[in-house]
Amino acid sequence: MATLSIKGVRKSFGAVEVLNNIDIEVEDGGFLVLLGPSGCGKSTLLAIIAGLEPSSGGDILIGDKNVNDVHPKDRNIAMVFQSYALYPTMPVRRNIGFGLEMRKVDAKEREAAVQRAAELLQIEHLLDRKPGQLSGGQRQRVAMGRAIVRNPDLFLFDEPLSNLDAKLRVEMRTEIKRLHDRLGTTTVYVTHDQVEALTLGTKVAVMKGGVIQQLADPETIYDRPANMFVAGFIGSPTMNFLTGMLEHGDGGLVLRHAAGSLALVGLEQDVAAFVGREVVAGIRPETLNAGQGAAGLQGIVDVVEPTGPDTMVIVSVGGQLLTARLGPKVRPKPGDTLNLSVDTAAINLFDPVTGNRI
Amino acid sequence: MSRGRAMAALPPPRSTWDAINPLRLLGELSETRYWMYLLLLPSALLITAIVLFPTVYGFQLSFTEMRLNRPAGNGAFVGLKHYQRMLADPIFWLSLRNTAVWVTFSILIEFVVGLVAALALNRNLWGGKVLAVLILVPYFLPNVVAGNMWALMLDSRVGVINDILVNIGLLQEYKAWFADPNTAMATAIFVEAWHSFPFFTLLIMAGLKGIPTDLYKAADIDGAGAFAQLRLITLPMLRTIIAAAVILRVIGLVNSPDLLLILTQGGPGRSTQVLSLYAFQNAYSDFNFGYAGALSVVMFVLLMLFAWAYIRLSKVNQD
Repeated sequence: MATLSIKGVRKSFGAVEVLNNIDIEVEDGGFLVLLGPSGCGKSTLLAIIAGLEPSSGGDILIGDKNVNDVHPKDRNIAMVFQSYALYPTMPVRRNIGFGLEMRKVDAKEREAAVQRAAELLQIEHLLDRKPGQLSGGQRQRVAMGRAIVRNPDLFLFDEPLSNLDAKLRVEMRTEIKRLHDRLGTTTVYVTHDQVEALTLGTKVAVMKGGVIQQLADPETIYDRPANMFVAGFIGSPTMNFLTGMLEHGDGGLVLRHAAGSLALVGLEQDVAAFVGREVVAGIRPETLNAGQGAAGLQGIVDVVEPTGPDTMVIVSVGGQLLTARLGPKVRPKPGDTLNLSVDTAAINLFDPVTGNRI
Repeated sequence: MSRGRAMAALPPPRSTWDAINPLRLLGELSETRYWMYLLLLPSALLITAIVLFPTVYGFQLSFTEMRLNRPAGNGAFVGLKHYQRMLADPIFWLSLRNTAVWVTFSILIEFVVGLVAALALNRNLWGGKVLAVLILVPYFLPNVVAGNMWALMLDSRVGVINDILVNIGLLQEYKAWFADPNTAMATAIFVEAWHSFPFFTLLIMAGLKGIPTDLYKAADIDGAGAFAQLRLITLPMLRTIIAAAVILRVIGLVNSPDLLLILTQGGPGRSTQVLSLYAFQNAYSDFNFGYAGALSVVMFVLLMLFAWAYIRLSKVNQD
């Protein structure tokens, strides 16, 4: 096990800059998730950490060793690929033990290590099969077996669950979390799935256009997004944005929007400099509730989407559409007028010009 | 669907013309299960005419007396006479041995050079595309052109290769490569390999494109070096393509006498006499089509056996 330091890492392909001055520290045993949309540079960063891709500048340190010029095989890392990258002509046993075989580990020792990994992942019965004879979930387990068998300093996961169906993805996500809790190996995990990021990571780096937008623990990322990109990227349904003027009202600050005003009770941010200016209020769907409260909004119901545990209600507030996550029994009809109470303490205010949180 | 049910689905004829209208009857027929056989019939007839008939005729010929320069008795069934003669024919056995040498070494060189060229071209190096076309040039040349070109370049009086070898000191004097039994076969194999290695290059390159790059990344991390990656990933992943290429080349090499016909005509002595050339000479020099037919049947059977054994041994049908 080891720490991972990424210091000022850059990567460009010709004139195109895909990674811009990336700085990340991962503690020993930490779980860093690189999260972002396609093309944000997260997989390139992982490839640079693995040594599969050279960087254009900056340093990668595993433990206290600078590995910039170290071959992937000598970095003591293990990687799980999106495609699993199992060797199709070798049986599972040899796939898992391949790294040890290449390192000339004694056959008996190798077999024992493979057996241990297989037991941990409950794939002992698959050891003599070829990858072509396995299901997606089984291949995923074998790929993980190949990673854990060598006891590496660092696990690297490149969108490992993307090729699985929804149910299996949830199962394997739990499996990865369990494995990390058990082995405690420092991990870097690339995904575009925010649920994976929030459930697995001890630290999440949200990336866009080769730049880290926010690096924080999952709670902070969700509750206090650094800018409107992070706010909109994290959460499903996505965060609502309500534009209005920030003003002093009778009992404190209010957001005057097209259809009325919203009292900003219990707001944690220091927004004094923005009074009298336009701001964007970020409101999570679950902080909206049916009925009137200390602070509220009134709107016309546009669409009602029952999902089972929740009912998503899309409401037009002065022409701006907001999504409210309401209880399963709430079933307003399109065209109804709906009162929503707002947990204003959970609101984030953004500067509409920069998009940054005030 | 049964004919009866299909017919029942159609409305009954409304008039006499309707009952004999060929379009209506055709439409009716197209609803029955016989329709697919009718659709297959033209290609079945074509295949019978151009593949099956000549093959069967070739087999039949091998059991028949057919000497164009001795018309008496032609067409008579002679049973296994030609095959018995073959067993006692030292030239047949020599040709068989030469064929084995010719095919084995040609394939070996073509495969190795073709693989190296494909691996090099697959690295997307600068100028790779131009090089890819240049490497394929030999294969574009007809055997006759390639053969005559090399015959000229290796000529014992005016050959440029001799000139180069003498000038760089590897040879004392010009050498008649195809006149010396010790060098004739090796030189012919060299020319053959030069001409056909691009076939392997082309197929292996296509195969290499199909190997996921993630496998090599995983192997890099697992600590497999370049040679281990070639042995444990590239070659096993190319197994099917290599098997197909080898079988096709073996068939080509066993069956085609053209290059040797131009370069050596089986000589000197019989040092480059191979089965296809022997069959060809029997048919077109001695006009003994019956014996040539028997030689061809033996080649056919040997190739079938080879293809079967090779596919089994290379486990192409597994996975």
